[in-house]
Amino acid sequence: MSGPPGWVTVAGALARVRSWYRSIVHRDSTERAIREEFEQHIALHTARLVQQGVAPDAAAQQARVAFGHAESHRVDARASRGLRWYDQLRVSTLDVKLGLRMLVKHPVISAAAVLALAVGIPVGLAPSHVAAAIEAPLPGDPDHRIRAIRYWDPAAVAVAATSVVEYEYWSRELRSFSALAAFRASTMQVALDEGRPEPLEAAEVSAATFGVLGVVPQHGRALHADDFIIGAAPVVLIGDHVWRTRFASDPAVIGRAIRVGREWTTVVGVMPDGFRFPSYAQLWLPMRLTATQTGRGATVQIVGRLAEGRSVEQAQAELELLAPSLSVDARDAERQARLRPEVVPFGLLFMGLPAGGLDAVPEYYLAQILMLVVLLVACGNVAMLVFAQTATRFKELAVRAALGASRSRIVSQIFAETFLLALISAAAGVFLVDWTLSHVNLAAIGGQTAMPYWLSLRVTPSTVVRAVLLATLSATAAGVLPAIAITGRAVYQHMRGGSGVRFGRLTGVLVVTDIAVAVAAVGLSLAIVRQVTDRQSLATVAGVPAAEIMAVEFRRFDDVPLDSGRTVRTLVAALAAEPGVRGLAVANALPLMEQPSRPIEVARAGAEASGAQEWVRTVAVDIGYFRGLGHTVLRGRDFDRNDLEGQDRHVIVNTAFVTELLGDRDPIGARLRFAARGARDPSAWHEIVGVVPHLGINAVNPERGAAVYLPAALDAIAPLHVALDVGEVPLRMGPRVREIAQAVAPDLYMASPTTLSEYRQGDWYLVLGLGAGLTALALVLVALAASGLFAMLSLTVTERTRELGIRAALGASPRTLVWTVLRRSVRQIGLGAALGLPLAAYFVSTVVGESSASPLWALLIATGVACGIVLIVAAVSCAVPMRRVLAIEASIAMRAEA
Amino acid sequence: MATQAELLPGNLDLVILKAISLGDVHGYGVLLRIEQISDGAILVQQGALYPALYRLEHRGLISSTWGTSENNRRAKYYRLTALGEREFRQQRTSWTRLADAIALTLTATPREV
Repeated sequence: MSGPPGWVTVAGALARVRSWYRSIVHRDSTERAIREEFEQHIALHTARLVQQGVAPDAAAQQARVAFGHAESHRVDARASRGLRWYDQLRVSTLDVKLGLRMLVKHPVISAAAVLALAVGIPVGLAPSHVAAAIEAPLPGDPDHRIRAIRYWDPAAVAVAATSVVEYEYWSRELRSFSALAAFRASTMQVALDEGRPEPLEAAEVSAATFGVLGVVPQHGRALHADDFIIGAAPVVLIGDHVWRTRFASDPAVIGRAIRVGREWTTVVGVMPDGFRFPSYAQLWLPMRLTATQTGRGATVQIVGRLAEGRSVEQAQAELELLAPSLSVDARDAERQARLRPEVVPFGLLFMGLPAGGLDAVPEYYLAQILMLVVLLVACGNVAMLVFAQTATRFKELAVRAALGASRSRIVSQIFAETFLLALISAAAGVFLVDWTLSHVNLAAIGGQTAMPYWLSLRVTPSTVVRAVLLATLSATAAGVLPAIAITGRAVYQHMRGGSGVRFGRLTGVLVVTDIAVAVAAVGLSLAIVRQVTDRQSLATVAGVPAAEIMAVEFRRFDDVPLDSGRTVRTLVAALAAEPGVRGLAVANALPLMEQPSRPIEVARAGAEASGAQEWVRTVAVDIGYFRGLGHTVLRGRDFDRNDLEGQDRHVIVNTAFVTELLGDRDPIGARLRFAARGARDPSAWHEIVGVVPHLGINAVNPERGAAVYLPAALDAIAPLHVALDVGEVPLRMGPRVREIAQAVAPDLYMASPTTLSEYRQGDWYLVLGLGAGLTALALVLVALAASGLFAMLSLTVTERTRELGIRAALGASPRTLVWTVLRRSVRQIGLGAALGLPLAAYFVSTVVGESSASPLWALLIATGVACGIVLIVAAVSCAVPMRRVLAIEASIAMRAEA
Repeated sequence: MATQAELLPGNLDLVILKAISLGDVHGYGVLLRIEQISDGAILVQQGALYPALYRLEHRGLISSTWGTSENNRRAKYYRLTALGEREFRQQRTSWTRLADAIALTLTATPREV
């Protein structure tokens, strides 16, 4: 049987949509029309009855009786339009008023709930807020027309270098961009006069840079085409901060000479306040490309302004079409085939994130889940508070139910109240976070001198929208579920004279879960903090005499691969030849520092790869790295010059790699290759040629984790960290090393040397920040658990006032009464702690390590702190109602029953 | 007046559509017209009429406009839409077929078995 023709279906659907639109959007006028129609009906019927001889008054009365209950017909009329659910779930202004009244009526419970959600909602928002901030447009680019162009190496999951070759080629060929700019950031030695130079963040920029960015100097002039000619008089633009702090905002600074590197350079302009492109720069120099640059030329980063009417997608498509014709030789062609050219927001270039932003990073999902768990815990506790609050309103709810309010209508009212609470909490939380972000120096916390100038974590309209969305979800979780539970049997039991609500298994499970999570979080955070402080005082780390090794980082000023390679080799040779230097190791990360993780695939010797991916830490090391740290290869062989020059790719792994990934089977001859999700081609196979002891590959727990060491030429190691084994009092070599560096490599910026045991740089701040964050999180969780317990206990005591009063009057001791109330809570706290401890132990052993003595210590403290706080809150929450109970007399209690 | 008959569930819509198909009419007029054309055999509960009218309007089978009634008050007049006419024809055909079938069944004699 054929269905109705298409127009019938469409016409019917359109009619329904129109009807819903009128009934929902123009609800008031629709309601008025219904009432008017009913009145007209009754008037016509009355007139007819009068015509039939009935007296007007009697006719009017009969007509009304014949019509029936107009309000019921009105409700039926709306229901016949399919709006029953909408009406029942609709939130009215009355609901909002009732919600406000409940907030004021129960201030303590309201405050606890607001606090829980004011913490939970911003925490839940944080990951998406940060992700959006990273991808936000640069300041002064509201339409987001400025984009970075880069290469992405899917196998390495990292940004690959772009050079002057790409910049010039793309500038010439790309039609999707109106202009491209190249830049490179570096640290310059700057002296304002003949005094000692200081390092200052600087950027060399191409001629089009300020045009692309749409920025002009506030004083002086921009860079002219002549400034970029090799041999022209050196010029520099300075930042507003430098101008204000070093030159006291003197307008006469224009034309003055300062020493940048080895050259006296004329200041020609002052950039506007806040401008620090690409991130931290305070000096801008014209990028002059020297004749010595051959092959791919100097490494530069590239940004461009999208041409009018061109989209990012069009630019990306054009870029992909152009890419293959860029190779300069066969080796370059292989590299080109591996890399993917991308048009991305500027922040992704700076942060080295994939094109998808944080969404494409697995750890981001873990962070999101963790944050949402916090919000969920907050919602759970607010649910208990709502449960407690609603339980005091049984009489009101029962009357409403008796008057015909449906269950869904009551549920939607409770939802409205919770939604109001969640909105207030979200507003308070978001405002507080915004205020904090505007008053706290985040850069200092992160161990930086400044935040990237383009990164603003302040609240944006989209953050507000997300906050409202989370508030709605929170209100649904925290309001609707308890409302459904409470409007079930309980209201009707109350109508029949029952005793109302008691906390059931659900709330018990919530309290136990809260405490378990809090104990686990406190344990984890304390263990990490302890671990960090432990590490600070360790002289020997993972077999490396860290206190006897001097470590220093060199940063390139002139980022020219060939030149800097020769310079670095000369420097390393000079340092190694220095009397007193027992060993020298060069790598992109030293023991104790965080090394990057990469996914790999492993194939045992003579076997096929399983296809499973494992994440390992990777380190690019110079030949002789292990000897330099005082270690020899345990099995197989060390790297030699052939590993750099030959076609075959070789790696050395640590003992943890052999145990964890190869099951202690023979590692020599086994192969591995780097892979990544979304990679078109994994990298070539690398053969394992040696095994070394565990030399520390991360900051938190240097003794654990699989590592792969890749041989790298000195010019390919970036950042360049050098460890010098110089025996006791290693820092005495500091001045000598600086002398050598200035003599051999004056263009390299040398950071302050320190011992390897203290050599953490940003890593230490990262770990400290992690520990502090987890501790704050743990305290929040404990506070949330306490608020839930508060709600439960205060209601329990209120509910049992009569029973407890009678017991007190009949001679029960105060101690017995207190125990009667607390018994259940103490059991729940004990159970929560018991469940939380193994969880904490698991986290601690996974993240921190089993070998340390810290976990047990941390666990005991964690349990004590968490349970102690919760018990104090429990006692406080019982105190007021218990005093009331203990003061009650039997006659009053009996009267209450009557 | 004929003996009153009870409407079978679902048949109210058909009767209302018939009443409106005879010409534009307001809600009370629908009631009177049904009473008139059924010779008083079908009496629709006054309150039940409006949910049915709104349901038909919601489905796009009838449309409404405001006009002036015989007592000079504003009244809402209903008329059949093209969709409503089609639906009415289908329902009428279906009902007539069923009524004939039932009538035939009920008038069967032993000789026809």
